[in-house]
Parts: sequence; structure tokens; C-alpha cells
Amino acid sequence: MIEAHKLTRRYGEFTAVDGVSFAVDEGEIVGILGPNGAGKTTTIRMITGFLPPTEGRVTLGGRDLFDHGVEVRREIGYLPENVALYPEMRVEEYLAYRARLMGMGRAEAAAAIPETVDSCLLSDVSRQIIGTLSRGYRQRVALAAAILHRPAVLVLDEPTVGLDPKQIVAIRELIRELGRRRTLLLSTHILPEVELLCDRVMIIDRGRIVASGTPDSLRESWVGTTTLRVALEPAPDGAVEALSAVPGVGAARPGDAPGSFLLDCEPGADPRAEVFRAAVAAGWTLVELARERASLEDIFVRLTTGDGDGAGEPVEAAAAAPAEPLEEAPAAEEAN
Amino acid sequence: MKGLAAILQRELRAYFFSPLAYIVAALLLLVNGAVFWVIVSYLNDPRAGGSSTPLELFFGQTLFFWLVLLFVAPVLTMRLLSEERRSGSIEVLMTAPVTEGQVVVGKYLAALVFYVFLWLPTVTYALLLSRHSEVDWGPVASGYLGIFGIGALLLAAGVLASSLSRSQLVAAVLTFAIAGPLFAIGFLEFLFTSQVAQEVFTYMSLPRHMEEFSRGIVDSRRLVYYVSASALFLFFASRALAARKWR
Repeated sequence: MIEAHKLTRRYGEFTAVDGVSFAVDEGEIVGILGPNGAGKTTTIRMITGFLPPTEGRVTLGGRDLFDHGVEVRREIGYLPENVALYPEMRVEEYLAYRARLMGMGRAEAAAAIPETVDSCLLSDVSRQIIGTLSRGYRQRVALAAAILHRPAVLVLDEPTVGLDPKQIVAIRELIRELGRRRTLLLSTHILPEVELLCDRVMIIDRGRIVASGTPDSLRESWVGTTTLRVALEPAPDGAVEALSAVPGVGAARPGDAPGSFLLDCEPGADPRAEVFRAAVAAGWTLVELARERASLEDIFVRLTTGDGDGAGEPVEAAAAAPAEPLEEAPAAEEAN
Repeated sequence: MKGLAAILQRELRAYFFSPLAYIVAALLLLVNGAVFWVIVSYLNDPRAGGSSTPLELFFGQTLFFWLVLLFVAPVLTMRLLSEERRSGSIEVLMTAPVTEGQVVVGKYLAALVFYVFLWLPTVTYALLLSRHSEVDWGPVASGYLGIFGIGALLLAAGVLASSLSRSQLVAAVLTFAIAGPLFAIGFLEFLFTSQVAQEVFTYMSLPRHMEEFSRGIVDSRRLVYYVSASALFLFFASRALAARKWR
């Protein structure tokens, strides 16, 4: 549905985004992750048509965003990171203004506004002046404005910032619902949110996509080895050595509690059964045996904390590693 | 076009909800009322002589008229684009299906409509006079045409200034810096002896234009000047809005 072809954006000498290509299909929720200053917001501004790329292009259903600017922009809903509204307007008035700005008809707007107000949990403040609303409400007014005209593509930059936990659950449910029928690009700092909502994740660092794929495939290709958490009671002597010797275990080290151990397994191995048998054979009581799932957080930290040139190498490997690789921009279509 | 209408309507609403607009309206009426009263009482003096009518003097023949104009233009326009840029709402505005030109023109028209609204009450001065003496409505109409034209020019300068800065204060000062010379450039005619230079500066002399308008002379060259200069300012403003797109 929406495709980025080798997007590059330079600010003078500084390259904020460097040859980023990806595609998001209808009914798909794709998350963009990256540390501050990685080029997320610049990428999003190019995708929404606010900022043209220095090189490369964005197409929506095959139409170039900057050649067909005005018509194509109607199909995009955008919630920017920095929520800015007109403080003197009432919520309803603002939504009515946005509806007109988006070219909606009177009847169409009259139907869409109450529905959107409802789904964004704004019914109790719809007559209030925006300037008097709290941060969470304003965030939802901006979200309502983004989805009001039923755009085919939704771009949400940090949609749950400033909401209380109950609202976060409701808004996530709304996003999931929206993502079922639309193309949805989501940028967030909250990693569990990505796991909850996104079908696919892109990790951006220093203006490049360093990894992309489903959360599961990222885990597989980036963590590779499994870690087992083992707890024995009472803590026996010589357990570290004995556990290291179990087939499939690469290295064993003491965990944070007495009697607990962390076993780094050999790549591809799952020696849980062997660990159990070894414990029984040694006469230890096994009170815990669990496989630790690598969190996206670990992957994120590993991918984005390289320094300078050191990061250059994994970048290349990353592009090829994930199970669902980057969408390569069709080279033949590179017109400009 | 729908987008332009939406922006125009929103900005007009913003004017009528803002206290600043009412302060400007009150000040304008206060100054104009005082000026009108002074003019009428001056002309009522048998020693005054001369052949001017009160409205002739009222339309641009006093310094106060120009002071008010030079004050109103920055105040009405300073917020229009700079506030969008400062708050960041420009991002959702420019990703909506509207062009830079439509945004600029929509906001400009809102300022112009509000400007007309500011002057409307002064029509009562003419009505008041007409109850006590003959009023020649032709020069009154052309006087208002002049007020409209010069206002359109200065407001366009204000929209340009507002497009150039994130700060309303900078925008206001910049408007003053453009509008001041626009008003004063005509006075240069007195510094030159060459006929060509004198004609050039007369052509651009707003006080002279107003003097003509107040006597009922509608010279299309004046209107061409206002329209083309306003269009130029607005064009530059839309380019300034598009400047983020420079690659």
C-alpha cells in the first residue's frame, strides 16, 4: 500500500535518513523503533508528505506522494509526535474543521465526528475548549483528527504517550482494530507495545534500517542462543562445573540468587531434558528450569548501541538476516 | 477550495474569539471617533475656511489615520503563520490536502474580512453627517475603496512577515519594517528633482493615493499597485511555507 524507495534526507552535511526502503501492506501494522535522533521522525515526515526526501520517493498505491501531493495526502492520517492543536477551539469544532480541511462533505462529517469522538473516548469532553484539556485528552483529540476521514494509511507517532494505563489499553485496542482494515505505521518507544500490536518491526539507527522482521523472527536471528534459568535447592557445590559439562550447554554462571544459575546454550540446542537428568543423577532438587526469552529490548539495545564504525558491519548483516527481509525497492522503477 | 474555505472560517472564528481583536477594534474606533470629532468641530469654526468636507479630511488626511493602519496590520497578521510554526500545528496542516498557496490565501482573506469588519462602524460617521448636511456618497465610496486597497496591501505584507518567523513578536516588527517604508517611500519624491524619480515615488505614495480617493478620484493604477504588490507578498509567503521542502 505505502512504499518507501531508498529514502534519503540530508540537512546540509548531516544525513538524517540514509537509503531507507520498506513497504507496508493493507491490514498490516508495522512498528518503527529507534533511539532518539535515529531518523524516525524524519522518516515519518517524509512518509506523510510533510518533508520531501532529498533522494528516493514515497508511493501510495503506486502514486508518487510528491507528484500527486494534494490528492494522495487525503488518504493519509497523521498523528505527529508533537501534538499541536488550536487551544481556543472546542473539540467538536476542531474535528469539524479538520473534516472540512480533509474535503469531507457535510453529511459525511456529521456521521463521522460522533463516531470518532466515541471511539477515541472523547464523548465527555466534546464540548470542551481544547486549551483546558489535559495532555492525555489532547493526545486523543489529535488521534481522532488523524482517523476522522477514514484514511487508508495511518501514521501514528507515539500514540499512547501521556495516557493513563486504562486509556492505553483502550487506545491500543482501537489501534489494533484500525490496523485490521488499514495500513498502519506506528512509531513508539514502548517496546511491549510493539510486541502487542505490530506484525512487523523495523529498527532504525543512524538513519538506516538495521533490522526488520516479525518480533519472533528478530528474536531468532538476533539472539540465536537460548539462555536457561536453573534453580537448585539447596545450593550445591561444584554445580557450575557440572552444569557446564551437560551436553548442549556452552557455559554456566551463577545467577543473582543463591542456588540459581544461568546456562548459555550452544546455538540451536535446547538441553532442558539433559539438565533435568544431570540434576537427578547428581541428587539435586530442581526447583526451577525455564528458558529465558530474549526481549525486543535486548535486541534493540544490541542493535543500536554500536559506536561509530563498529556499527557499520552488523548493519550489512542485519539487512539480510531477518526471516522477512526488507522490501527491496524495485531498481527498474527508480525513475528519479 | 474546500480546504481554503475551512482555513478562512477557522481563522475568522479565531479573530472573533481573541481578546486582542477586540482591543484593536476598540482602539481603532476610539482614535477614529476622536479624529472625526476634531475634524467636525474644526470645520464648524467660521474662521476655518477652505473647501474640504469632513469626510475628505477623515479619509487619510490626518496622521492618526496612518498610525492606526500601521498598527493594525501587524497585530492582525502576526499570529497567522508564525503561531502554526511555533506550536507545530503546521505539520498536520501541511499534510492535509491543501497547498501552501491555499493556506496563505485562506489566512490572508480572514485577516482582510476582519479588517473590513473593523472599519464598518465608521460608516455611521457618514450617516451622521448626512442627517445634518448633504453628503456626496461618491467620494465616501472611493475613500473606503482606498482604505480597503491599502489595508489589503499592508495585510499581505503582514502575512509575508508571519510566514518568515516562528515568533509573533518578530513577525509584528517585521511587518512594521515593511509597512513603514511602504507608507513613507512616497515622501522621497520631495528629495528628487528628476521628473522620472518624482513620478515613480508619487506612484507609490500611499498618502497621495488616499488624498485622491478621498476626493472621489479612482485611479486604476493605484488598484493595480495594491493588487500586484499584495499578490507578490502572498506569493513569497507561500514560498516561505514551502521552504521546508528545499532539498
